[in-house]
Amino acid sequence: MIAYLTNLATLATIFGILAASLNLLIGYAGIFSIAHAVFFGLGAYAGAQLAMLLVPDLLLACLAGGLVAGALSLCLALPALRVRGEYFVAASLGLQMMAVTVFSEAHAFTGGHGGLVGIPLASLLGFDISAPPTFLVVCLVVLALVLVVIRVLMRGSFGRSLMAIRDSESAAEAFGKNVARLKTLAVVLGCAMAGVAGVLFAFYMAFVNVESFTLEQSILVMAMVIIGGTATLIGPLVGVLLLLLLPAGLSFLPFIPPTEIGSVQQLIYGLAMALLMIFRPAGLAGRSAGQR
Amino acid sequence: MLFLQLLLSGIQTGAIYALTAAGFALIFGATRIFHVAHGASFALAGYAFLACSQMGLPWFVGCLAALLLAVGFGLAMDAFIYRPIQRHEGSFFTVFVAAFGMTIVVQSLIELGFGRGFVVVDSPLTMARAIVPGLYLADIFWVAIGLAVALFVLVTLFLERTRAGIGLRALSENPELLRAYGLSSRRLSALAFGLGSALVVPGAVLTATTSGLQPAIAAQVMLISLAAAVVGGIGSLRGAALAGLLLGVVENLVIAFVDTQWSSAAGFVVLFAFILFRPSGLFGQAVAR
Repeated sequence: MIAYLTNLATLATIFGILAASLNLLIGYAGIFSIAHAVFFGLGAYAGAQLAMLLVPDLLLACLAGGLVAGALSLCLALPALRVRGEYFVAASLGLQMMAVTVFSEAHAFTGGHGGLVGIPLASLLGFDISAPPTFLVVCLVVLALVLVVIRVLMRGSFGRSLMAIRDSESAAEAFGKNVARLKTLAVVLGCAMAGVAGVLFAFYMAFVNVESFTLEQSILVMAMVIIGGTATLIGPLVGVLLLLLLPAGLSFLPFIPPTEIGSVQQLIYGLAMALLMIFRPAGLAGRSAGQR
Repeated sequence: MLFLQLLLSGIQTGAIYALTAAGFALIFGATRIFHVAHGASFALAGYAFLACSQMGLPWFVGCLAALLLAVGFGLAMDAFIYRPIQRHEGSFFTVFVAAFGMTIVVQSLIELGFGRGFVVVDSPLTMARAIVPGLYLADIFWVAIGLAVALFVLVTLFLERTRAGIGLRALSENPELLRAYGLSSRRLSALAFGLGSALVVPGAVLTATTSGLQPAIAAQVMLISLAAAVVGGIGSLRGAALAGLLLGVVENLVIAFVDTQWSSAAGFVVLFAFILFRPSGLFGQAVAR
């Protein structure tokens, strides 16, 4: 039971980092990306490759994963600067679909459909941190760091300018904000954090393949952020807990056959997304429009 | 010869895409609602047809059921999802997420009802025959092309000649002025959703008999219509249809040069390139950033 709970907590923490990083894009910057699993995947593959070829050091792997995801996030920043709204959603969808194909075909880097097997146990500065409770603590520390960074940045001038751009791009530009630089920075930062989450995921699972980085995963993360509440620090975490506990809770219900759990879970979160948008568009933890 | 064969099957796929994308563009053009649940209408229509033929009903009953379900779903989305959202806020983002949620709901309901696997309806029309040595073509090819052209001409005539069609075009230009002339924007938007959703039916039925259906087709069709609408220029019916045809042909033709796994990605490379270099699409007006 303890092992089961530790497992759930570790996954929740990793997804918490992922959702918080997506919230930076969707919530604060108004960049509505449905390609977040791509950067999660890039981080995971980069971290896994580094661990398998050089050293399984978590710090180095996180650096590598963050760098790769951050650098390639320029593919997402480019359309974000050119277009908005519907067009950008379409562009990020296109990017997601292309990336899945690349992930399953680029055997040298990703191992193709079979994925990368046998990722070594994680260590940190020479200490073994692979025991489940230790790894959970490490993940929690990373999550705390990510949240602190987001909070500090969003309280400061960077965050305020970003939110100004989200609310009215032309007004922010008229006030002399460098829209292109701010947006690019937000995208790179958010995607690099997703890359770090990917590295933790790769070490934790000791195996990665393309199945974890598909459009469905991107949508799941998006649902977490939206159901929890965008542009709040706590919202994405609420969403993560709800959506991860849902399948765990459903498996205790005797009248749902185990093979159908996936569909029932999807049904519930699809419905939750639609209903929330009608009745509470700011999400569960978000402030409703009247209080703002 | 391979090239020609691929071109022909590309045109067949493209005809289906074109009709579906035209429906999407019609809805977006008139109501400015980005109806991402359009793919769900497609899946519902396809599975309705499938269920009817499994029950042994004749094909036209299946088509009628598909039509009713698709149109009903489109109207219900308009009345129960989009209109309540637009009453209080109506930002693009909110509408998109709600529609996306409903697509997931439809997809999982289909999974629960029909399972996750591929299902195909058998039809004598899909038997491929050699028209010249080495070149195979099924009768369904002509059906697809004929339907696509005929329906497209009909819809264009409707939009240009009839009073309701002109009303639809006016709705996209200026809803307030429309109300001042005593026309109901609610009724017109319902018309747009009904007509747009009806346009998925031929594509859904043809797909059910040719390449087969699976629950994830809702998301695939949504992606294709979205891509076609953007490549064609958002809101332009002509552009969406042409882009749908183009995407179908590109998807099939790339098989001549690269592995088949890359074929579905090829369409999205086209989409991505268009967004970067020509965001207004083939026929769209310049986009206000």
